[in-house]
Amino acid sequence: MNPSIKLLLLFIIALEISFTTIISLNVALIVLAIAYLLIHHTKLRTIGWLLIVPLLPAIGLWSTQYINGSGNKTLMAWVLFSRIYTFVFTGATFTLTTNILQLADSLEQNWHLPAKFAYGVLAAYNLVPKIQHEVKIIRAAGLMRGQQLSFWSPKLYFKAVLVSINWSQNLAQAMVSHGFVEDAPRTHFRHCPLVWQDWAIFTVSIILMQVGAFLLPWH
Amino acid sequence: MKWAKAWRLSDIILIALIGIFFGAIFMGTNYVYDVLTAALAPVGLSGLANELLLGLWCMPGMLAGYVLRLKGSATLGELLAATVEMFFGGQWGISTLISGVTQGFGAELGYIVTRYKHYDWLGLTASVLTTTLVTFGWDLARNGYFKLQLWLLILYFVVRFCSMFLFGGVLTRLITDMLDRSHVLKSTHTNN
Repeated sequence: MNPSIKLLLLFIIALEISFTTIISLNVALIVLAIAYLLIHHTKLRTIGWLLIVPLLPAIGLWSTQYINGSGNKTLMAWVLFSRIYTFVFTGATFTLTTNILQLADSLEQNWHLPAKFAYGVLAAYNLVPKIQHEVKIIRAAGLMRGQQLSFWSPKLYFKAVLVSINWSQNLAQAMVSHGFVEDAPRTHFRHCPLVWQDWAIFTVSIILMQVGAFLLPWH
Repeated sequence: MKWAKAWRLSDIILIALIGIFFGAIFMGTNYVYDVLTAALAPVGLSGLANELLLGLWCMPGMLAGYVLRLKGSATLGELLAATVEMFFGGQWGISTLISGVTQGFGAELGYIVTRYKHYDWLGLTASVLTTTLVTFGWDLARNGYFKLQLWLLILYFVVRFCSMFLFGGVLTRLITDMLDRSHVLKSTHTNN
């Protein structure tokens, strides 16, 4: 499925379940999402991990409503509990089957996002491992001078911004020197088609979602 | 796409890098969130963990709005940070993106109401206030806050504002002060 249409669909679903309080609908979405993941050969271990990661916040939300809620406390507690899992599993159907490169291609080719945004963000995204390493370097450099740089130390962020400024200019220069011209028309090596089947899946899913949210007599 | 014209390639990369850097730093704070949530869950106050740390997570937007004084920079900065977080498997799945938009737009709104002219205490405080309001409005629905008892709702709101003010206001201000003193912002802004 076209990445940006998929993301749009999931975005709308996430918005809609944020305003509905139907546990069965949430569970149905989770089951659908898991089925989708299994079809796409996601490892069982990954799915198990997805069950564990949101457990703590889910219990937190559950107990907050159960103890300090008003009205039908039990219902709301379980709605929020299942809602988190719906967010995580529907999100995983995107993040585990699509990479950011495909999304950038789709946004650029199908939605005319200026190429500088698509490729600029990709350039930065590819530096993630280097960025994680750099944070360690900044902390170690601080320790060498006896400064413990914690997440509330302005100096840590200041140094991170300095590095960002430096790298952003280097990267931009590197891209330009390799022939990238801002706002110039481009041809594409990787094609990302947007076909009528994408729109069909999108429309049917949205209609099904409305049936699930408003017509089915869930309990 | 008139607004896009003002953006240079290096601006876009910069805003994305800042978002990722902050994300990398925040990953080290996840344990604080987990411990707090676990400790507060039995008394039904685990939302406090979220409220206490939310200001931290909203910093990229506010800082991006300050560093790159372009329309949309706060929203884009926060949205990019959220996108990266989603791909790296945050605890909130797809709703991370919606949170990113609301937090970014909340921060942006502060700069909008001060007409993109006040890059000082006024602009930051306005941004702190609008971010608190917009994100709280979103949590009324998403986290079911509208069903909570009133005293708890008020407590959450006050804690959230304090967190926003401490991290988004004071800490961001300390960082921007350092940036101002080092005279690095001018060069990025005019973009040579």
